[in-house]
Amino acid sequence: MLNYTIRRLIFAIPTLLFISFIIFIILDMAPNDPTGNLPLTIPPEVRQKIRESLGLDAPMYIRYLLWCNQFFINEPLNMLHQWFGWCIGDCEGRLRVESWITRSPVVDSIVERMPQTLWVVGMSYVVSILVAVPIGVISAYKQYSWFDQAGTLVSMIGFAVPTFFTGLVLQIVFSTMIPSDHWAWLPSKYNTLHEVTDWQSFVYQMRQMAMPVTVLALYNMAQLSRFMRASMLDNLSQDYVRTARAKGLRERTVVLVHVLRNSLIPVVTVIALGVPTIFGGAIITEQIFGVNGLGALLIIGIQGADIPLVQTLTFIFAVLIVLFNLIADILYGLLDPRIRYE
Amino acid sequence: MKLSKIAMATAGASMLATSAFAAGHEMQGRDGHVGIIYWQAASILNPYLSGGTKDIEAASLVIEPLARYDQDGNMVPWLVDEIPTVENGGVAEDLTSITWKLSEGLVWSDGTPVTSADVVFTANYCMDPEGGCQQLAKFGDVTSVEALDDLTIKITFGVPKPFPYGPFVGGQTPILQAAQFEGCSGAAAPSCTDQNFGPIGTGPFVVTEFRANDTISMEANPNYRDPSKPAFATLTFKGGGDATAAARTVLETGEFDYAWNLQIAPEVLDEMESAGKGTIVSGFGTLVERIMINLTDPNPDLGDERSTVAHPHPFLSDIAVRQALSMAIDRELLTEIGYGQAGRPTCNVLPAPAIYASTANDACLVQDIAGANALLDEAGWLPGADGIREKDGVRLSILYQTSTNAVRQDFQALIKQWWSEIGVETELKNIDAGVFFGGDQSSPDTFQKLFADVEMYANNFDGTDPEAYMGNWKCSEIPSPENAWLGGNMPRYCSEAYDGLLAEMAGTADIDERARLAKAMNDMLMQEYVIIPLVDRGRVSAHANTLEGVVLNTWDSELWNVADWSRAD
Amino acid sequence: MLDGTKPLVRVDDLKMHFPIFKGVLRRRVGEVKAVDGVSFEIYEGETLGLVGESGCGKSTVGRALLRLYDITDGHIEIDGSDISTLSGEALRDMRPRMQMIFQDPQASLNPRMTVGSIIAEPLDEHTNLTRKEKREKVAKLMDAVGLARRFADRYPHEFSGGQRQRIGIARALALNPKFIVCDEPIAALDVSIQAQVVNLLEDLQQEFGLTYLFISHDLSMVRHLATRVAVMYLGKIAELAPRDALYADPKHPYTQALLSAVPHPDPAGDRQHERIILKGDVPSPANPPKGCNFCTRCPKVMEICRSETPEWREVDAGRFVACHLYN
Ligand SMILES: Nc1ncnc2c1ncn2[C@@H]1O[C@H](COP(=O)(O)OP(=O)(O)OP(=O)(O)O)[C@@H](O)[C@H]1O
Ligand SMILES: [Mg+2]
Repeated sequence: MLNYTIRRLIFAIPTLLFISFIIFIILDMAPNDPTGNLPLTIPPEVRQKIRESLGLDAPMYIRYLLWCNQFFINEPLNMLHQWFGWCIGDCEGRLRVESWITRSPVVDSIVERMPQTLWVVGMSYVVSILVAVPIGVISAYKQYSWFDQAGTLVSMIGFAVPTFFTGLVLQIVFSTMIPSDHWAWLPSKYNTLHEVTDWQSFVYQMRQMAMPVTVLALYNMAQLSRFMRASMLDNLSQDYVRTARAKGLRERTVVLVHVLRNSLIPVVTVIALGVPTIFGGAIITEQIFGVNGLGALLIIGIQGADIPLVQTLTFIFAVLIVLFNLIADILYGLLDPRIRYE
Repeated sequence: MKLSKIAMATAGASMLATSAFAAGHEMQGRDGHVGIIYWQAASILNPYLSGGTKDIEAASLVIEPLARYDQDGNMVPWLVDEIPTVENGGVAEDLTSITWKLSEGLVWSDGTPVTSADVVFTANYCMDPEGGCQQLAKFGDVTSVEALDDLTIKITFGVPKPFPYGPFVGGQTPILQAAQFEGCSGAAAPSCTDQNFGPIGTGPFVVTEFRANDTISMEANPNYRDPSKPAFATLTFKGGGDATAAARTVLETGEFDYAWNLQIAPEVLDEMESAGKGTIVSGFGTLVERIMINLTDPNPDLGDERSTVAHPHPFLSDIAVRQALSMAIDRELLTEIGYGQAGRPTCNVLPAPAIYASTANDACLVQDIAGANALLDEAGWLPGADGIREKDGVRLSILYQTSTNAVRQDFQALIKQWWSEIGVETELKNIDAGVFFGGDQSSPDTFQKLFADVEMYANNFDGTDPEAYMGNWKCSEIPSPENAWLGGNMPRYCSEAYDGLLAEMAGTADIDERARLAKAMNDMLMQEYVIIPLVDRGRVSAHANTLEGVVLNTWDSELWNVADWSRAD
Repeated sequence: MLDGTKPLVRVDDLKMHFPIFKGVLRRRVGEVKAVDGVSFEIYEGETLGLVGESGCGKSTVGRALLRLYDITDGHIEIDGSDISTLSGEALRDMRPRMQMIFQDPQASLNPRMTVGSIIAEPLDEHTNLTRKEKREKVAKLMDAVGLARRFADRYPHEFSGGQRQRIGIARALALNPKFIVCDEPIAALDVSIQAQVVNLLEDLQQEFGLTYLFISHDLSMVRHLATRVAVMYLGKIAELAPRDALYADPKHPYTQALLSAVPHPDPAGDRQHERIILKGDVPSPANPPKGCNFCTRCPKVMEICRSETPEWREVDAGRFVACHLYN
C-alpha cells in the first residue's frame, strides 16, 4: 500500500505540472482584460500602462515560468519562514504570487478566507453526512415506507431547488419576518470578523452559520442520502445478509454491522472525493449570505481577470482533487479487503 | 517607539475630546457602531492602484483629497481653506498653474503633521511611469508639483488649463502619507500590501482590520480635525453578495445602516422600503437617456454618402417635426416605468451639476400631443389616407434604433405609441449592445454610423466639468467615413455659433462664466431639438431610518460626509 | 426404519406468497405464489431431498422453513416448537437449532469479515464462551470441514469455491444445530469438488447426528444422499416417497417426466427407459393454472385436472402423491 501511494504521488507531479500549464494557457487565451472592469473614464493610455505594470507585456511562457517560480519555490519558502521562522535566501524581498486586484499575496488571501470556508462549507458537509447516512439507512431498510417516500421527496426538493432560492426563502423567514430581537432571528449576513471567545460568541457563530449551512447541507444531503440508500439496498438483498439473519444475529447487528459497513464503502469514497468541493467553496451560497469564502474569491478573480489569483486557486483545487482521488482509492483499499494495491 | 506614538495619539485625542466636551460639544464616538454594506467588496484602499468605485469610496473613509465635490457638484475645500481661483490668485492668469494651501494644524491619524511634502509625494507616486497608477488621467498635462513651503503646493501644467482641478479634487486622488508610502513608488507599488490595505489618512476613520474583497473594520480617527466627529466609534464596511441582498439588510432586516448602489427593479425596492426600516435615497449625475435625431439622410440608396452631411434628412431637417416628436413624449411616465426612484425626467442633455443645469427648457416635462399635432398641421405636414402625416410625397416614417435592453424596448414601444398619436409612423429596431456600442467598422449597426432616423442610448461624463462633454457636438466631431466614423456628434449638428461658445469656454477660467457658456450650449441643442433628452438616470442607495446625516453625492464618494453621520435617538 | 423415529420437522400447509406492487403508487396488484400449500415431515437423522425445476419454490420452502421469511400461512414445527408465528427474540433463540447452507458460497459470506469471525459470530451472539474457547471452537470447526486452521484470518475472496462452501458449512455447524437446510450446496461448484462436499456433509451427518433438508435439482445426487425425496412443481409438492420407491416407481406424471430425463445408471436395468418430453413452459407462479397446477403440461391430463385441485394423499405406505390418477 505504501509503495502504491508513493508511486501514485510521484505520477501526480507531472500530471499536476501539465494541469497548471493548461490552466495557464486557458486563462491566457480567455478574452479577459484586467483593466476591463475599470471605469470607462480611465483612458486607454493609462490602461496600457497598468497592463505593463502587471507584467502583461511579457510573452506567455515567461509569465508561466515566473508563476511557477513564485508558486513552487517562493511560496513554500515563505511558508517555512512564516511558520517555523526558517529563513532560506532572501526572506523579505521574495516575489510572491500577487493578485492583480488586491495587489497582495494570493496565498495570504486564501489563508485568510479558509476559516469561514471551513466553518460554513465544511460544516455543511459534515452536517449533510451526519444527516444523510441515517436517512439513507432507514429509507433503504424501510423501502417504500412513508419515511422513505418523505425522504425521496425531500431529496428531490433539495436536489432540484437551487440554493439561491432556498437561501432567499430562509432569509425572508428568519431574518425578515422574524423580528431581530426574537430568539429565532438569524443574521442574513455572515460576519467574517466575528471571533469565538466565549459561550455567547459561540452561540452567535452558530446562529450566523445556521442558514448557509442548512442551505448547503440540504443540497449535499439530498445527493448523499440517495447514494447511501442505493448502496444499502444493494447490500440488503445480498445473500450474506440472509446468512447473518440465519446466524440468529439481532436485526440491529445485521443492519448496522453487516449491511451498513459494506454499504459505507462506496459512500465513504464518494465523501472523500467530494472534499475538494469544500475548498472550492459554494459560490452562490457564499454570495447570498456574504460568507466571502474561497468560492467568492474565485468569482471575484474571474470577473476581474485576475490571472494570478485564478491560476493559483484553480491549481490548488487541482492538487486537492488529485490528492483526494488518491485518498479515496486508498480508503477503498483499506475498507474493502477484496481490493489490494501493490 | 510605536508605543509612545500611540500613547501620544491617545493623549492628544483625550485632550481634544475633553476640551471639546468642555466647550459644550458632543464627543467623538458617542453613537457606537455603524454598518455599511457594498455589494461589491473593496479589494484595496489605495485608489491609485484601483479605479473601482467601491475601492475609491471605501478609501474615502480614511484618506482625503484637498477638495471635494458636494451633492450639487460644487467644489468644497476639504484639507484647504479655500479653492484656488484666478480671482483669489490661486490660479495663474495664464491658467498654467494652480497653488493650493493646506489648512493649518492638520495631522495624520498617527499624530504627525500633514505637509506639502505629502501632497508632492502623492503626485509623484501616481505619475511614476512604472507604477501603473490608475488615476493618471487626473494628472494629465501636469509638468511639475512642488512644495513652496510646508503648507503650499504649486501644480504646473504644460498647457493652459481653464479647469485645473484634476489632481487632488474628489475621491479619486486623495493625499497619501509620504512617510508611510516612501518605499512604495514605481514598480514596488503593488508589493506594499500593508500600506495599500491600511493607509494612514486624515479622514474620520482608521483601519483596524482589512480583509480584501470581504470586510473592513474601522474605528474613529482619534486625531480627526473636528474632535466631536465622527459620531460613530466603530464602522464595518462589509462587501459581497448582490444588490438585492444588500438592500434587504438595510430596508428589511436592519442589520446594516447603509447600502450602496441598489440597481434593482424599482417595484422591488419600493416593496422593501415599505417594511419601514429604511429609506431610499437617490442622487443624480449626468447620465441622460436621450434620443439622437439624425439630421442627415440614412437612405441606403446613398451608398457611401449615407448618413453624411452631404444629404440633409428629408423631414427631420424640419425643426417643427423634431419639436413635435419631443412634445409627444411623456417623460414622467417613462421615468416611472423604467427607473423609479433612480431616474428623473429631464429636458436637458446637461442636467447637472446644479450650476450648469438650465431651466429654460422645462416645458418639455409636460406631454403635449395636441400641441404637437397643431405644430405639424401648421408646418404643412397633413395626415394622409392611413393617418400618417406627409408633405410633398414625404411621409413621416421613422426607423428608431437602440441597444437590446428590456427598459429600452419598453421605452421604444411607448414612444412609438405616442408618435402614432401625432401621425408619425415608427419602425423599431434593437441591436445587441456589443455591436451597437462596439465601434466595429464593418458593422452597419453601430451608434456612430446611425443608419436610422433616430437612436436612443445614455451617456455621461466624468467629474463635474462639462467642457469636453459639450465638445461632442461641434462640427469637427461629426462621424463620417473620412474620420472612420469616430466622433460623438451623432445628430451631425453643425453650428458656428455653438463652436464659438466652445472656443470661448476653452479660454475661460471663471466657474460662473463657464456655467453660463455651458448652459447656452445646452439650450442651443435643446431648442434646435437635435437631441431629445428623456430621463436623467441617477444612483440609488438606502440608509436605515436611524441613520442621520446621509447626503447622497454622485460627484464624489457617497461616503464623503460620513464624519457628519449620526444615530437618531 | 421410518416408524421408529419421530419427526423433527413438521410442515403443514405452508404458504409463502410474495406481493407484487405496480405503478407510481405501488398498488398491490397480485402475488407470486412461490410456495402454495406444502405439507411434509422430516424425521430425525434423515435427509429429505427436495427436487424440482428452477423457480419452482425450493429455496423459498427452505427459507420459509427456517423463518427467514414471514410466512403467509401454515404451520412449521421444529423439534417440538411451533415457530410459524415467532418473531424477534423468541425466534432468535430458536436459531441455534436450525441452520442453512446457501446455494452461492461467495455471495453468502460477508466480504469484509475474516473466516474466523464469520464462523465465530454466531458464538458471540448465542454463547458465553471465552475468547479462547471460541478460538478453539472455530479451529475445531475448521478441522471438521477440512480447512487449515491458519486460514482463519483470511477473507472469503481469498478462497476457492469449494473452500468457501466449507466455510459456509463450518459456520452453519457452529451452534450445533439439529437441522440444516442445504440449499443446493454444490450447485455452484465444480463436479470434482461436488463429491468432496457431499461426502463431507454425509460424514458430518454421521458425526453430529444431523437432519438435512437437501434441496437440489440434481436427481442423481439426491438419489445418492436422500432417505426420502419430495418432488416440487410450481409451489406445490407433487410427490413424496422413500428414495428407492420413488426412483423405481414414480407415481406422479411430473416425477415420471423428471426421472426419464436422468441418464440411467444402468442402461440394461430392470425397466425399459423412455424419455418423456414435457411440452410448453412452466406457468408463472403469479398466475398458476386452475385445478392441478401441472395440468397445462401433463401428458396424462384429464378433464378433472383442469377444474379441481388434486388432494395430497398417501397412496401407499409412506408414499404421498397429489394426482387425480390415483383417486
Ligand atoms: N423475495 C421474493 N419476492 C418475490 N418473488 C420471489 C421472491 N423470492 C422468490 N420469488 C419467486 O418465487 C419463485 C420461487 O423462487 P425460488 O427461489 O424458491 O425457486 P428455486 O426453486 O429455489 O429455484 P432455483 O432452482 O433457481 O434456485 C420464483 O418465481 C421467484 O421469482
Ligand atoms: Mg433456489
